[in-house]
Amino acid sequence: MQLRKGVLEYCVLALMRDRSRYGVELVHALEESGVLATSQGTVYPLLSRLRRDDLVTTTWQESTSGPPRRYYALTDGGRAALDEFTRVWPAFRDTVDAFLTPPTAPPGDPA
Amino acid sequence: MKTPADPVRDYLSAVEREASALPADRRQELLADLAEHIEVTRAEHPDAGPGEVLARLGDPRTIAGTALAEAGIGTGGAAWGRDHVGAPAPRAKVHPSVPLLLITLPFLLATVVPDAPALQLCVGTLRIIGAVFLCTSVFWTPVQKTVGVLLTLVLPTTANIIWEATTIAPAGDEPALVANLVTLALLAATSTWLWRSRRA
Repeated sequence: MQLRKGVLEYCVLALMRDRSRYGVELVHALEESGVLATSQGTVYPLLSRLRRDDLVTTTWQESTSGPPRRYYALTDGGRAALDEFTRVWPAFRDTVDAFLTPPTAPPGDPA
Repeated sequence: MKTPADPVRDYLSAVEREASALPADRRQELLADLAEHIEVTRAEHPDAGPGEVLARLGDPRTIAGTALAEAGIGTGGAAWGRDHVGAPAPRAKVHPSVPLLLITLPFLLATVVPDAPALQLCVGTLRIIGAVFLCTSVFWTPVQKTVGVLLTLVLPTTANIIWEATTIAPAGDEPALVANLVTLALLAATSTWLWRSRRA
């Protein structure tokens, strides 16, 4: 659960890699990917912290349909944090996989 | 569609209530974010009822708990350790040195200035306050607290009463000073042990 929360924050940052997105959009993307294990509303405290930590900035944008939306975009710091995580994650994932994968039978051993 | 009992307003009130431990600006920010989410979702899905939108947003208590955890209230975790959603707020933390100093230092003063009844009363009071801080502190287990109070307060006080009320102790200032120094050593040793064994 803690691991999931820690990783979720980088999934949120990754969603903003190419373009800014508004809250509902982020929530839906997380939900559809299956990475969000809790309810939609818990994403907002996370976004709030990312904003306070200067990893993302927000700007209000008018919409052609419905109310104005607050768009979230990566700051330089947010991009750097995302790049660092992207760099470290594969090795980390492989290390954990190595622990979790049952040892394979040595070659020549009948299956 | 407004009904007399507005479910959105009720929902946001519930979040506000559950998040009362959050600083006011963060609480308002959370409410604004959720209100925006509800408004945008309803604009994008006009056929979805407010009940459905709110149900998918989730339990107000869970959201407030996440907000408290993210704000570092109720947790001391780093980025990968943030969890304890809905964990109860900790008791106000008195620095662990406070009870130990309150228990030990006044006694040192009483040893240096032995014949001042008013001072002795103050010393006793301060030491009892120290024991109360010790017992309510989050830094020690109940067993540690019990041992600490027994060694620093109950044992010395009992010994003192026996010393004063009976004739088994030798008369004179010098034995009394030695007894006080022994007590002081006991207090210092117990305080040192408590200090070293305190929780991080």
